[in-house]
Amino acid sequence: MRPLRVAVIGGGTGGTIVSNKLASMLREDLASGRVEIHLFTESSQHVFQPANLDIAFRGAEPRRFVRDQRGLLNSKVVLHAEGVKLINAHDRVIIYNGDKFEYDYLVLSTGSRAVPSGVGGLSEASYNFHTGQEDSAKTWEALKRFERGRIVILINIPHKCPPSPVEAALLVDELMRKRGIRERVEISYATPYPRAYPTHSIAEVVEPIFEKQGIELVTFFNTDQVDPQRRSVYSLEGEELSYDLLITVPPHRGAEVIMASGLGDEEGWIQTDKGTLRVKGLDRVYAIGDATNIPISKSGVVAHLQAEVAAMNIAAEIKGAGAPIHYNGRINCPLELGGRRAIFVSGTYETPPARQEPSLLKYLMKRTFSSLYWPMLKGRLDLVFELYLGKPYTTKG
Amino acid sequence: MRHMVDARGSYCPGPITELIKAYRKAEPGDEIELLATDPAAKSDVKAWAQRSGNEILTIEERGDHIAILLKVVKKAK
Repeated sequence: MRPLRVAVIGGGTGGTIVSNKLASMLREDLASGRVEIHLFTESSQHVFQPANLDIAFRGAEPRRFVRDQRGLLNSKVVLHAEGVKLINAHDRVIIYNGDKFEYDYLVLSTGSRAVPSGVGGLSEASYNFHTGQEDSAKTWEALKRFERGRIVILINIPHKCPPSPVEAALLVDELMRKRGIRERVEISYATPYPRAYPTHSIAEVVEPIFEKQGIELVTFFNTDQVDPQRRSVYSLEGEELSYDLLITVPPHRGAEVIMASGLGDEEGWIQTDKGTLRVKGLDRVYAIGDATNIPISKSGVVAHLQAEVAAMNIAAEIKGAGAPIHYNGRINCPLELGGRRAIFVSGTYETPPARQEPSLLKYLMKRTFSSLYWPMLKGRLDLVFELYLGKPYTTKG
Repeated sequence: MRHMVDARGSYCPGPITELIKAYRKAEPGDEIELLATDPAAKSDVKAWAQRSGNEILTIEERGDHIAILLKVVKKAK
């Protein structure tokens, strides 16, 4: 009889953490050969995605933010650095590289994709920092060349990392001031939301800063299409915005493998119980992070905390011990506001984010996080994160 | 056609995200029913409807959430 197999698809923050957590929680079962953990990921490299902002707007060197995936994993986790083509969740089979792989438990941590082609004209017309390091570096090059005119930061939804568009606008402002050309540059921030940040309490902090820095706020702007020849963006609401340089946050979609396998909704998001993180309608299948349809920030910290909850629930199922725990919706997204100040957008399902005062300390915490990311993936900072964030779950549904 | 949007329990990025997803799919003449627990949802949806030229038909307080029924009367294409 073969060992009981846990398959994890996706090697981003959530997939890496859930694999390592399970390897730690089930170490005796792994040592005895009763259980195996297999991680399938498209690349043998792991990219620290929040640093795309530093690459695009500060000119940071991309290689600093890449590590070998194998080195981030518990030695007992079997790594398949190959993309999965298809998942047959009813028969518990994965198709990858022409081979079939049978599993008993499945974790879908397949993330989200920024899809500029989702809006007519957007791919040809715009730069962005959500489709990877290479495009982030191109954004930096375009900003360095820019001499005068209007820069439009154009937000499309849904997208990952809710703070990133505000951070982008303020970093563009900062860069143009450093270059001494700010008076020749207009910056417009066009968002589908009613305010600069979707959450009211946070927008109250951001909007006065935009006003002070001379960033024009255009609300309720849902992009319909872009005309690269006319250098204009048109909204569903019937408005037009002209630009000289267009930097966009593209609309995001679920992973192709989720769509191809019929496991997502029409945008590719997986129908997931927001407490237990079980995929609705399927036994022994969990989804975490950006991949789910849970109405919550698509962010690294959510993927991290959901990975802990999913790992605990799977380990309990395998051991036949206890009722499932429920993710409480904890979010904690750093939001950099220029001038070496930041806040953290923090809340749960039950508690909306409260207003905060920007501070240097929070800015330093955000900057420090990038160096803590790698040991965090390996579970070496669990105690620190638990003290800081509290337990990300409740024992009742 | 009526589009149902259940955004209860969503604060960030908020019910307006879900509403706009439905608006993208809707045709003029369609209705969108939004359920939300976010206290900002009522004023946000009112402001969006006014700005975009769409119509709010009813707003109902239903204990722990509100239900807003909109009619899509304007869309760029």
